[in-house]
Amino acid sequence: MAQTAPALVVEDIHKAFGPLEVLKGVSLSAAEGDVIALIGASGSGKSTLLRCINLLEIPDSGRIRLRGEPLEMTRDRRGQSRPANWRQVDRIRSRLGMVFQSFNLWTHMTVLQNVIEAPVHVLGKPKREVSEQAMALLEKVGIADKASAYPAHLSGGQQQRAAIARALAMEPEVMLFDEPTSALDPELVGDVLRVMRQLAEEGRTMIIVTHEMGFAREVSSEVIYLHQGRIEEQGPPEQVFGSPRSERCRQFLASHLSRDRNGPTAAAVAAVDQPTAS
Amino acid sequence: MNLALVLDSLPQLLSGLLVTLEITAWALALGLAASIPLALMRVSTNPVLRLPVFGFIFYFRGTPLLVQLFLIYYGSGQFRPELEALGLWVYFREPYFCAVLTLTLNTAAYTAEILRGSIQAVPFGEIEAARACGMSRGLLYRRIILPKAFRLALPAYSNEVVFLFQATSLVSIITLLDLTGVARVMVARTFAVYELYIAAGLLYLACTYLILWVLRKVEYRLSGHLRPREAEPARPDLSPAGLP
Repeated sequence: MAQTAPALVVEDIHKAFGPLEVLKGVSLSAAEGDVIALIGASGSGKSTLLRCINLLEIPDSGRIRLRGEPLEMTRDRRGQSRPANWRQVDRIRSRLGMVFQSFNLWTHMTVLQNVIEAPVHVLGKPKREVSEQAMALLEKVGIADKASAYPAHLSGGQQQRAAIARALAMEPEVMLFDEPTSALDPELVGDVLRVMRQLAEEGRTMIIVTHEMGFAREVSSEVIYLHQGRIEEQGPPEQVFGSPRSERCRQFLASHLSRDRNGPTAAAVAAVDQPTAS
Repeated sequence: MNLALVLDSLPQLLSGLLVTLEITAWALALGLAASIPLALMRVSTNPVLRLPVFGFIFYFRGTPLLVQLFLIYYGSGQFRPELEALGLWVYFREPYFCAVLTLTLNTAAYTAEILRGSIQAVPFGEIEAARACGMSRGLLYRRIILPKAFRLALPAYSNEVVFLFQATSLVSIITLLDLTGVARVMVARTFAVYELYIAAGLLYLACTYLILWVLRKVEYRLSGHLRPREAEPARPDLSPAGLP
């Protein structure tokens, strides 16, 4: 396998909210086409880590590089860490696609308007060209017939797929998913996971915070288990799920995998395995 | 009830109504334009921007419109030399200018406060989504926050428009011949108090109805995302993956 330059490198991220230290020095590196699953109990810092990558949370310290471009950080007079140049932050954010747990579609715009908004106004692309691409993306995520509907008229699963199309429309170098299926009814989870699996198969670089262990196991190339702001276990899914070294990780997986087998998400994961009808 | 008198005075009442509508339109247009930067300053984290606007809004919401009108129309006379030196006296000696200025400042204060509330009511997740796409602050306000805030503000703003329209009747006190002013002059001439004020009142009522009708149309157009979906043929979505 040829050595590729890492798409995203995150080094030694620290983040505290007041006295609460959420991240205590976390590093990860995603090569082109890697799918990294971040797992861990709630409060372990996995969402915060993801939000630090595109500076929705400003890390207290640490380094972030996107395709070799380092994010310039500086400190204000009180010693608070902050970006040196917000323009650069905006540019880097436009190269990272983010999908939120609660979709966060712009509710006053139709689905199509949501998808073309950022390419047209952030990247300055012609509206016509973007609209065609947007329709192709909506086709891909299976909601082309909803292009002119408002988000409130869609189910949660459809909204999340619209949000994925919105992120894809920016042609991002790395996709960030923050618990994309946690707010969905169990029977809608499968739709979203199927789209994500398709993206992974296309070789997209993705970082996914998830509780869907079955999905993480099958789709990811690397699994990172976070515990209290530190990486407790890290490796290929066969290793982390098959023979975890850490006792805590073993317990976490035991409780989650049994829930997956018995709980409603088992059906959702099974649905992912169904072939896509064309 | 002297109907003939009402019909005879109708042309004059209508010319008064025209003045009322003119003043309302000027004050609304200028006040709305001023309210947007004011609202943005009001939500700023920078106290140098926020506090003066807070004071401005506090004063104009906290004092009667009539007092504000007197202060600007009669009060400016006290500063005549200064205003003359600045070349502004030609404006401040005109009741029309003073009326429009007072009403503009008053409605700007109220509208800014309405907008502040709706800017702060824009869901944080949608702001975060815009940031995550790489939108700069200016773009974020222009494309997401303000369009959403306007929609949220519209019902409250409709009230403000009607309130301002009625409030213009106060300008008759500083000698302007608006609808109320004309009615007053004619009542003094004919003593037909009842007929003339009812006629004036009906004209106000008709205009208010018209204003509300227009605003309702605007609101309807901008709120498609809040209405239940229009009836469409039911599409059964039976499989878990939503496939036929």
